Amino acid sequence: MGKKTIVPIGPYHPLLEEPEFFKLYCDGETVVDMEWETGYNHRGIEKICESKTFEQVFYVVERICGICSTSHPFAYANAVESIGGVQIPVRAKLIRSIVGELERIHSHLLWVGLAGHFLGYNTVFMWAWKYREPVLDMFEIITGNRNSYAMFTIGGVRRDIDEAKASQLLQVLDDVKRKTDLLTGAVMDDPVIHARLKGVGTLTAKDIHDFGAVGPTARASGVDIDVRRDDPYAAYDMVDWKVITTTEGDVFAKAKIRLLETYESISIIRQCLELLKKEKPGEIKTKVKDIPAGIGIGHAEAPRGEVFHYVKSDGSNSPVRHKIRAPSYNCITTFRRSCIGGTISDAAIATAAVDPCYCCTERMVQAIDYKTGKRIMNATDIIKLSQKKTEELKAKM
Amino acid sequence: MNIEQYITNLREKFPEIINIEVINTKRLMVYVSRDQLPLITEYWFNELQYRYIIVSAMDSKDGYEIIYHYSDDKSGWIMSLSVLLAHDKPEIESMTPIVYGIEWIEREIMDILGVKFLNHPKPERFLLAESWPEDEYPYRRKYRQGDR
Repeated sequence: MGKKTIVPIGPYHPLLEEPEFFKLYCDGETVVDMEWETGYNHRGIEKICESKTFEQVFYVVERICGICSTSHPFAYANAVESIGGVQIPVRAKLIRSIVGELERIHSHLLWVGLAGHFLGYNTVFMWAWKYREPVLDMFEIITGNRNSYAMFTIGGVRRDIDEAKASQLLQVLDDVKRKTDLLTGAVMDDPVIHARLKGVGTLTAKDIHDFGAVGPTARASGVDIDVRRDDPYAAYDMVDWKVITTTEGDVFAKAKIRLLETYESISIIRQCLELLKKEKPGEIKTKVKDIPAGIGIGHAEAPRGEVFHYVKSDGSNSPVRHKIRAPSYNCITTFRRSCIGGTISDAAIATAAVDPCYCCTERMVQAIDYKTGKRIMNATDIIKLSQKKTEELKAKM
Repeated sequence: MNIEQYITNLREKFPEIINIEVINTKRLMVYVSRDQLPLITEYWFNELQYRYIIVSAMDSKDGYEIIYHYSDDKSGWIMSLSVLLAHDKPEIESMTPIVYGIEWIEREIMDILGVKFLNHPKPERFLLAESWPEDEYPYRRKYRQGDR
């Protein structure tokens, strides 16, 4: 082996502007080893939760991540309600699922946009983000906020969805479906995208099992898991939907899964809205007095995979221990298998494929000469390198 | 899945299990000693192909409580392995050689709770800064904010 070069990525990730530091050890253009440094963004949320009441924790966990700001309260609610054996009204279950699925739509569109930007397709980026806007506006109408929705509470939800909002939501869904058709067609039929994504960052089912990866990352490698189906919560067992899986395991498969899941989410919301008509308006919460001593383990399927919350109560009004595991925590470790053996220009999209969320996990890219320690490339240069590769491919075709 | 049958089988296979508790719907907690841990981990992760979720650790009155969470996705059950370590000997064998993905969380626990994972392939700092004092662990009960 010749001289090895270290390509440092971070502490700002080229795709998502969140702090994390990767060291790619490169031999020529090939990545041969990888290392991480994390901890740049650790806010001690688990510790903070232990000083709040069960009700207040919702507002803290909601702020773990700006994109999954419903998934964390979802898993936390499942955990706490399992301690007290709380049964929530059907209307609350439906509203929870609607908000959860809306979040999945906006998160998947966000990823498609970012992946496009990464490959040098800024049109895809602008389209996807434009089409995502009405979803966020809908959030504002339903919950009062485009982000950090504060919809969840122990025993139900805090706001109802009335007829007027429901019909508005149906219109937005029709619109989003039309736009997703357009986007899916553009992405799936593009020969350059095929050339850039197929066979890149491939993960096998064994890799997924070794690291405990979840969500679209696992489903793209043929691992058929989805918390919504395997351990149903909220209204997911009341509606008809399917888990999307493929076996290729490459970045293209992950993109496909995300786009197709968007359609499933649209269908789930429509069915939930239909069921909502049968429930009495206003019945959105059961009164919960105390949370007894005990252990509550809750999980929920976030757009990126399973969110896991472990809550231990001693009978007082706040948790004694609250452990949070975001999906990226397990998915990021798979970079070791997906990037090694690939080229530097593919490392950027391979790391982006799991839709890493460092806020959740808590937690960069540049190139440094192994021997001298001199920086030769930074994150922007690496994105440019990735975009240049697409340009070259385009020119050849 | 018939949980009674499952518990009986598990007890037969590993007679040294301290206690098995169904904590609530689809959640099972198995209390084991530190010597039993690698055996059951091997059985669950490699033989039964349970999915590794995460490890949670806590400083309780009786000692350090380390809980390994696994999921049986076919049935939707979450299976947890709980090990209690004495305050004066916070040491446990690393599970990283069996479960590859457990590396990060073990390093994290080493940082914040000061539990030592023996034979860990990379026992380096994970979350805390290099300049953080060696013997201060922020998740320990006696640690107070502002101590530093």
